[in-house]
Amino acid sequence: MAFEPREPQKELKYDELRIYTDEELNNYTEEELKDFKIKHDIPDVEELEKGPWPSFVADAKREALHRRKLAEDRMLIERDVVEDLLGQLQVSFDDGETHWKHGGIVGVFGYGGGVIGRYSDLQEKFPSIAHFHTLRVNQPASKFYSTDYLRCICDLWEYRGSGLMNMHGSTGDIIFLGTFTEQLEPIFYELGHVLQQDLGGSGSNLRTPSCCIGRARCEWACFDTQDMCYELTHYYQDELHRPAFPYKFKFKFDGCPNCCVASIARADMSFIGTWRDEIRIDQEAVQAYINGEIQPNAGAHAGKDWGKFDIEKEVINLCPTQCMWMEDGKLMIDNKECTRCMHCINVMPRALRPGVDTGVSILFGAKAPILEGAQMSLLTVPFMKVEHPYDNVKELIEKVWDWWMEEGKNRERLGELIQRWGVPKFLEVIGLPPMPQMVKEPRSNPYIFWKEEDVPGGWKRTIEDYRKRHVR
Amino acid sequence: MEDIKKAILDFAENSKKTKFYFSDMEKAVRKVIPDAKARAVKKAATELINEEKLIFFSTGSTSMYGLKGRGQTEDH
Repeated sequence: MAFEPREPQKELKYDELRIYTDEELNNYTEEELKDFKIKHDIPDVEELEKGPWPSFVADAKREALHRRKLAEDRMLIERDVVEDLLGQLQVSFDDGETHWKHGGIVGVFGYGGGVIGRYSDLQEKFPSIAHFHTLRVNQPASKFYSTDYLRCICDLWEYRGSGLMNMHGSTGDIIFLGTFTEQLEPIFYELGHVLQQDLGGSGSNLRTPSCCIGRARCEWACFDTQDMCYELTHYYQDELHRPAFPYKFKFKFDGCPNCCVASIARADMSFIGTWRDEIRIDQEAVQAYINGEIQPNAGAHAGKDWGKFDIEKEVINLCPTQCMWMEDGKLMIDNKECTRCMHCINVMPRALRPGVDTGVSILFGAKAPILEGAQMSLLTVPFMKVEHPYDNVKELIEKVWDWWMEEGKNRERLGELIQRWGVPKFLEVIGLPPMPQMVKEPRSNPYIFWKEEDVPGGWKRTIEDYRKRHVR
Repeated sequence: MEDIKKAILDFAENSKKTKFYFSDMEKAVRKVIPDAKARAVKKAATELINEEKLIFFSTGSTSMYGLKGRGQTEDH
């Protein structure tokens, strides 16, 4: 299906929207950078520049030099914001504690998220970062950008913010780091009305949904992740921007079980593409892999000599459910035992492909907090067909939200609520029968309890009656 | 809708804390209007925000509501 935007979209042309000239953007030389010192002494922060990896300190110094050489009227917040930021970081190293104050009443009108308030508690020493608010900008689906788009948002942020950004935050948004309160509304206006972008989610909101690259480039995508991400982002605008949840809630869309956006590890509701028919096998290509005519893993590990490809050792014996074998030179798969680990498909992409009857598995309750309590999501809906406009999915989402909003404690994630109430209660809420796939050890774990109405005769059967047939 | 809005404002003016979670606001509304739906309470709260009577408040990770002018104000 071709992409149809919800509203007419214009193509962003940098030449029409640009704020800075080429001379202004390239206003320093590498020689000048070598001799450049910021106004604060930052020995510990500079330690971070050593070692083999690129460092944010080196990047920040470039930005500091760039801002120092821009004309005064070409930036709307203080020019030495980056220098003060590094200076305060040094003080934090010295003191062993942070000097940021977090939160407060900052935001843009009508939105309860998207802006994270931040203030320095050393405002006299570092006046340029007295305010250092963060904005989250909703990334395009699969993070597809044009160069014009990137240049436009960079110019805007240089002009009205610190020029420092984070590509991307863990939820996927583009993060604008550091501006003053009075710049928030103008930035919001420019983003919305000129650049046609929206803020992302923060706080107790639906967080910015994110998806893998999907059908745009990947033949394994079992559903159109970008379309579903776009549709649900638009449909749930109110939930994204006006907080009413007990805490954060994340959707993530993975086109196949390779889980490229790691939905299983961090989304409260993970959508993972799957198939319910059989893995497609091209037996000729299997032979070509065995004979070494095609590189395994599409050549991803070709830099080193691993020896001849051994299908027995590298594919069949690594199958977690041992559902593969060779028979008369042909690769066989017992598809009903397959757990969709994707290993065989990843190793031999030319020979094996996902089935054609595709849809999603829906899992609930993952979270990945910074300190403790990380939890993977629970497979709840093994298979669901998904097609635009996703009414079946929306119905499920709303059942879950209604329950969580009603019963969830403040700052309790969905996964914690499911733990507190138990899986049977959760299944009752969404109206699904318990299935062995939901239970880690179906034959030994009394996870699912019977209810009186589920048992013929209820709890009222007499033991005497039972003993008549079963002698002690 | 108007009675929900009134219940929210009553709660916002008299609550012990000046910033509160949505669910606490919802509970307070339920005390006055027992069959108020969460979605209706949310819509009423959004209208009050648009009328500039309520404000959103962010802790950095969680969002709360507050009465405009009560407690911590815009100029922190």
